[in-house]
Amino acid sequence: MAVGEERAKNKRGIRGWINPYHYNAERWAYFFQRVTGVAILAYVLGHLGDTSFFVGGPTGTGPSPSAWAFIGSIFENSFGHLILILVVLVLFFHGINGVRLILAELGLILPKPSAIEYPYRPKGLGYGQRVLVYVAIAIAIAAAVWAFLVLFEGMG
Amino acid sequence: MKESRLMLVQYATAVAAVALVSVHLIMQGVIYPYATAISFSNILSIYRNGFYAIFLEALLVVVLVHGFNGVRIILGEFRQTKPWTMWVDAGTVLAIIVTVAYGTRTVILAVFGGAPA
Repeated sequence: MAVGEERAKNKRGIRGWINPYHYNAERWAYFFQRVTGVAILAYVLGHLGDTSFFVGGPTGTGPSPSAWAFIGSIFENSFGHLILILVVLVLFFHGINGVRLILAELGLILPKPSAIEYPYRPKGLGYGQRVLVYVAIAIAIAAAVWAFLVLFEGMG
Repeated sequence: MKESRLMLVQYATAVAAVALVSVHLIMQGVIYPYATAISFSNILSIYRNGFYAIFLEALLVVVLVHGFNGVRIILGEFRQTKPWTMWVDAGTVLAIIVTVAYGTRTVILAVFGGAPA
Protein backbone atom coordinates (compact mmCIF):
# COMPACT_ATOMS: atom_id res chain seq x y z
CA MET A 1 0.00 0.00 0.00
CA ALA A 2 1.36 3.44 -0.98
CA VAL A 3 2.20 5.90 1.80
CA GLY A 4 -0.66 8.23 0.74
CA GLU A 5 -3.20 5.39 0.77
CA GLU A 6 -2.02 4.18 4.19
CA ARG A 7 -2.31 7.72 5.54
CA ALA A 8 -5.82 8.18 4.10
CA LYS A 9 -6.86 4.85 5.63
CA ASN A 10 -5.69 6.02 9.05
CA LYS A 11 -7.38 9.46 8.81
CA ARG A 12 -11.01 8.60 8.36
CA GLY A 13 -12.41 11.39 10.57
CA ILE A 14 -16.10 11.05 11.44
CA ARG A 15 -16.40 8.15 8.93
CA GLY A 16 -14.01 6.30 11.21
CA TRP A 17 -16.32 6.91 14.18
CA ILE A 18 -19.50 5.71 12.51
CA ASN A 19 -18.08 2.57 10.94
CA PRO A 20 -18.58 -0.01 13.71
CA TYR A 21 -16.51 -2.71 11.90
CA HIS A 22 -14.07 -4.27 14.38
CA TYR A 23 -15.51 -2.25 17.28
CA ASN A 24 -14.85 -3.55 20.79
CA ALA A 25 -16.18 -2.18 24.11
CA GLU A 26 -13.36 0.39 24.23
CA ARG A 27 -14.21 1.74 20.76
CA TRP A 28 -17.91 1.97 21.64
CA ALA A 29 -17.07 3.81 24.87
CA TYR A 30 -14.80 6.15 22.86
CA PHE A 31 -17.55 6.76 20.30
CA PHE A 32 -20.26 7.45 22.88
CA GLN A 33 -17.97 9.64 25.01
CA ARG A 34 -17.52 11.99 22.04
CA VAL A 35 -21.12 11.87 20.82
CA THR A 36 -22.52 12.47 24.33
CA GLY A 37 -19.97 15.25 24.92
CA VAL A 38 -21.05 17.14 21.82
CA ALA A 39 -24.73 16.55 22.69
CA ILE A 40 -24.23 17.88 26.23
CA LEU A 41 -22.43 20.98 24.93
CA ALA A 42 -25.33 21.62 22.53
CA TYR A 43 -27.76 21.32 25.46
CA VAL A 44 -25.63 23.62 27.65
CA LEU A 45 -25.67 26.28 24.93
CA GLY A 46 -29.46 26.00 24.69
CA HIS A 47 -29.69 26.09 28.49
CA LEU A 48 -27.61 29.29 28.53
CA GLY A 49 -30.17 30.76 26.15
CA ASP A 50 -33.27 29.68 28.07
CA THR A 51 -31.92 30.66 31.51
CA SER A 52 -31.12 34.12 30.15
CA PHE A 53 -34.90 34.62 29.91
CA PHE A 54 -34.89 34.73 33.71
CA VAL A 55 -33.51 38.24 33.25
CA GLY A 56 -35.65 39.05 30.18
CA GLY A 57 -33.61 37.35 27.45
CA PRO A 58 -30.79 38.87 25.35
CA THR A 59 -32.14 42.42 25.75
CA GLY A 60 -33.34 42.10 29.35
CA THR A 61 -32.13 44.23 32.21
CA GLY A 62 -33.14 42.28 35.32
CA PRO A 63 -35.31 39.49 36.72
CA SER A 64 -38.50 39.17 34.66
CA PRO A 65 -41.34 36.85 35.73
CA SER A 66 -43.15 37.38 32.40
CA ALA A 67 -40.11 36.40 30.27
CA TRP A 68 -39.52 33.39 32.55
CA ALA A 69 -43.16 32.34 32.18
CA PHE A 70 -42.86 32.78 28.40
CA ILE A 71 -39.80 30.50 28.10
CA GLY A 72 -41.42 28.02 30.51
CA SER A 73 -44.49 27.84 28.25
CA ILE A 74 -42.19 26.72 25.40
CA PHE A 75 -40.04 24.14 27.21
CA GLU A 76 -42.04 22.95 30.22
CA ASN A 77 -44.07 20.28 28.44
CA SER A 78 -43.79 16.56 27.70
CA PHE A 79 -41.38 17.11 24.79
CA GLY A 80 -39.13 19.39 26.86
CA HIS A 81 -39.15 16.89 29.71
CA LEU A 82 -38.27 14.07 27.30
CA ILE A 83 -35.24 16.10 26.18
CA LEU A 84 -34.25 16.59 29.85
CA ILE A 85 -34.46 12.83 30.47
CA LEU A 86 -32.19 12.19 27.47
CA VAL A 87 -29.79 14.86 28.79
CA VAL A 88 -29.66 13.12 32.19
CA LEU A 89 -29.03 9.77 30.45
CA VAL A 90 -26.07 11.02 28.38
CA LEU A 91 -24.77 13.26 31.18
CA PHE A 92 -24.40 10.37 33.62
CA PHE A 93 -22.81 8.11 31.02
CA HIS A 94 -20.38 10.87 29.97
CA GLY A 95 -19.47 11.70 33.58
CA ILE A 96 -18.85 8.15 34.81
CA ASN A 97 -17.12 7.02 31.60
CA GLY A 98 -15.03 10.20 31.86
CA VAL A 99 -13.91 9.21 35.37
CA ARG A 100 -12.89 5.82 33.89
CA LEU A 101 -10.82 7.60 31.24
CA ILE A 102 -9.06 9.73 33.88
CA LEU A 103 -8.29 6.65 36.00
CA ALA A 104 -6.92 4.90 32.90
CA GLU A 105 -4.85 7.98 31.99
CA LEU A 106 -3.34 7.86 35.48
CA GLY A 107 -2.52 4.17 34.91
CA LEU A 108 -4.68 3.01 37.83
CA ILE A 109 -6.95 0.61 35.96
CA LEU A 110 -4.82 -0.54 33.04
CA PRO A 111 -4.51 -4.29 32.41
CA LYS A 112 -1.14 -6.00 32.85
CA PRO A 113 0.97 -5.84 29.67
CA SER A 114 1.13 -9.18 27.90
CA ALA A 115 2.70 -10.68 24.79
CA ILE A 116 0.86 -10.15 21.51
CA GLU A 117 -0.41 -13.53 20.36
CA TYR A 118 -2.47 -14.85 17.50
CA PRO A 119 -5.40 -14.18 16.72
CA TYR A 120 -4.43 -10.61 17.70
CA ARG A 121 -7.72 -9.63 19.36
CA PRO A 122 -7.69 -6.11 20.86
CA LYS A 123 -6.86 -6.21 24.59
CA GLY A 124 -7.39 -2.56 25.50
CA LEU A 125 -9.93 -2.97 28.28
CA GLY A 126 -9.10 -4.88 31.42
CA TYR A 127 -11.78 -6.28 33.74
CA GLY A 128 -11.94 -3.12 35.87
CA GLN A 129 -12.48 -0.84 32.90
CA ARG A 130 -15.07 -3.12 31.32
CA VAL A 131 -17.00 -3.16 34.61
CA LEU A 132 -16.83 0.64 34.80
CA VAL A 133 -18.31 0.95 31.30
CA TYR A 134 -21.22 -1.28 32.33
CA VAL A 135 -21.59 0.65 35.62
CA ALA A 136 -21.74 3.90 33.61
CA ILE A 137 -24.51 2.47 31.41
CA ALA A 138 -26.46 1.09 34.41
CA ILE A 139 -26.24 4.32 36.46
CA ALA A 140 -27.16 6.42 33.40
CA ILE A 141 -30.30 4.33 32.87
CA ALA A 142 -31.17 4.52 36.61
CA ALA A 143 -30.69 8.31 36.57
CA ALA A 144 -32.90 8.62 33.49
CA VAL A 145 -35.62 6.60 35.25
CA TRP A 146 -35.26 8.91 38.29
CA ALA A 147 -35.54 11.95 35.98
CA PHE A 148 -38.69 10.44 34.44
CA LEU A 149 -40.22 9.99 37.90
CA VAL A 150 -39.30 13.56 38.91
CA LEU A 151 -40.54 15.17 35.69
CA PHE A 152 -43.60 13.07 34.86
CA GLU A 153 -44.68 11.62 38.22
CA GLY A 154 -43.88 14.59 40.47
CA MET A 155 -41.38 12.73 42.65
CA GLY A 156 -38.49 14.53 44.31
CA MET B 1 -0.35 26.41 26.10
CA LYS B 2 1.19 22.95 25.67
CA GLU B 3 -1.18 20.16 24.68
CA SER B 4 -0.25 18.19 27.82
CA ARG B 5 -1.32 21.15 29.98
CA LEU B 6 -4.57 21.49 28.02
CA MET B 7 -5.31 17.82 28.69
CA LEU B 8 -4.72 18.45 32.39
CA VAL B 9 -7.19 21.37 32.15
CA GLN B 10 -9.65 18.95 30.50
CA TYR B 11 -9.29 16.42 33.33
CA ALA B 12 -9.39 19.06 36.09
CA THR B 13 -12.55 20.64 34.66
CA ALA B 14 -14.04 17.15 34.24
CA VAL B 15 -13.59 16.35 37.93
CA ALA B 16 -14.90 19.79 38.94
CA ALA B 17 -17.86 19.42 36.56
CA VAL B 18 -18.84 16.04 38.03
CA ALA B 19 -19.00 17.64 41.51
CA LEU B 20 -20.73 20.87 40.44
CA VAL B 21 -23.25 19.27 38.06
CA SER B 22 -24.12 16.69 40.75
CA VAL B 23 -25.00 19.46 43.21
CA HIS B 24 -26.92 21.32 40.47
CA LEU B 25 -28.98 18.20 39.66
CA ILE B 26 -29.63 17.46 43.34
CA MET B 27 -31.03 20.99 43.66
CA GLN B 28 -33.41 20.31 40.74
CA GLY B 29 -35.26 17.24 41.89
CA VAL B 30 -33.99 15.90 45.19
CA ILE B 31 -33.77 18.82 47.65
CA TYR B 32 -36.68 20.66 46.03
CA PRO B 33 -39.48 19.16 43.93
CA TYR B 34 -38.88 20.07 40.27
CA ALA B 35 -41.87 22.44 40.06
CA THR B 36 -40.55 24.39 43.08
CA ALA B 37 -36.96 24.32 41.80
CA ILE B 38 -37.86 26.11 38.55
CA SER B 39 -40.31 28.60 40.09
CA PHE B 40 -39.36 32.25 39.61
CA SER B 41 -39.27 33.06 43.33
CA ASN B 42 -37.04 30.07 44.17
CA ILE B 43 -34.55 30.86 41.39
CA LEU B 44 -34.43 34.50 42.42
CA SER B 45 -33.69 33.54 46.03
CA ILE B 46 -30.95 31.18 44.82
CA TYR B 47 -29.29 33.82 42.64
CA ARG B 48 -29.42 36.34 45.47
CA ASN B 49 -27.74 33.92 47.84
CA GLY B 50 -24.13 34.98 47.26
CA PHE B 51 -22.71 31.49 47.72
CA TYR B 52 -24.99 29.88 45.15
CA ALA B 53 -24.45 32.72 42.65
CA ILE B 54 -20.69 32.02 42.84
CA PHE B 55 -21.45 28.31 42.52
CA LEU B 56 -23.47 28.93 39.32
CA GLU B 57 -20.70 31.11 37.88
CA ALA B 58 -18.13 28.37 38.62
CA LEU B 59 -20.43 25.78 37.02
CA LEU B 60 -20.75 27.99 33.95
CA VAL B 61 -16.99 28.45 33.51
CA VAL B 62 -16.06 24.82 34.26
CA VAL B 63 -18.67 23.29 31.94
CA LEU B 64 -17.99 25.66 29.04
CA VAL B 65 -14.18 25.33 29.26
CA HIS B 66 -14.53 21.53 29.42
CA GLY B 67 -17.08 21.43 26.59
CA PHE B 68 -15.30 23.68 24.12
CA ASN B 69 -11.88 22.22 24.95
CA GLY B 70 -13.43 18.79 24.28
CA VAL B 71 -14.65 19.95 20.85
CA ARG B 72 -11.14 21.33 20.21
CA ILE B 73 -9.66 17.91 21.04
CA ILE B 74 -12.12 16.18 18.67
CA LEU B 75 -11.37 18.64 15.86
CA GLY B 76 -7.64 18.20 16.54
CA GLU B 77 -8.04 14.47 15.90
CA PHE B 78 -9.36 15.12 12.40
CA ARG B 79 -6.46 17.16 11.08
CA GLN B 80 -3.11 18.37 12.44
CA THR B 81 -2.03 21.08 9.99
CA LYS B 82 -0.77 24.32 11.50
CA PRO B 83 -3.52 26.61 10.09
CA TRP B 84 -6.26 24.17 11.15
CA THR B 85 -4.86 23.95 14.67
CA MET B 86 -4.51 27.73 14.87
CA TRP B 87 -8.12 28.37 13.74
CA VAL B 88 -9.51 25.67 16.02
CA ASP B 89 -7.59 27.05 19.02
CA ALA B 90 -8.68 30.63 18.24
CA GLY B 91 -12.29 29.53 17.74
CA THR B 92 -12.24 27.64 21.04
CA VAL B 93 -10.97 30.66 22.99
CA LEU B 94 -13.49 32.95 21.28
CA ALA B 95 -16.39 30.54 21.91
CA ILE B 96 -15.47 30.24 25.59
CA ILE B 97 -15.18 34.03 26.01
CA VAL B 98 -18.50 34.77 24.27
CA THR B 99 -20.54 32.08 26.05
CA VAL B 100 -19.03 32.70 29.50
CA ALA B 101 -19.70 36.44 29.00
CA TYR B 102 -23.33 35.76 28.07
CA GLY B 103 -23.87 33.42 31.02
CA THR B 104 -22.11 35.81 33.40
CA ARG B 105 -24.41 38.58 32.20
CA THR B 106 -27.41 36.45 33.25
CA VAL B 107 -25.88 35.84 36.70
CA ILE B 108 -24.99 39.53 37.19
CA LEU B 109 -28.41 40.78 36.09
CA ALA B 110 -30.16 38.18 38.26
CA VAL B 111 -28.09 39.16 41.31
CA PHE B 112 -27.88 42.92 40.85
CA GLY B 113 -30.71 43.68 38.40
CA GLY B 114 -33.68 45.80 39.42
CA ALA B 115 -36.76 44.51 41.23
CA PRO B 116 -38.75 41.95 39.21
CA ALA B 117 -40.83 43.71 36.54
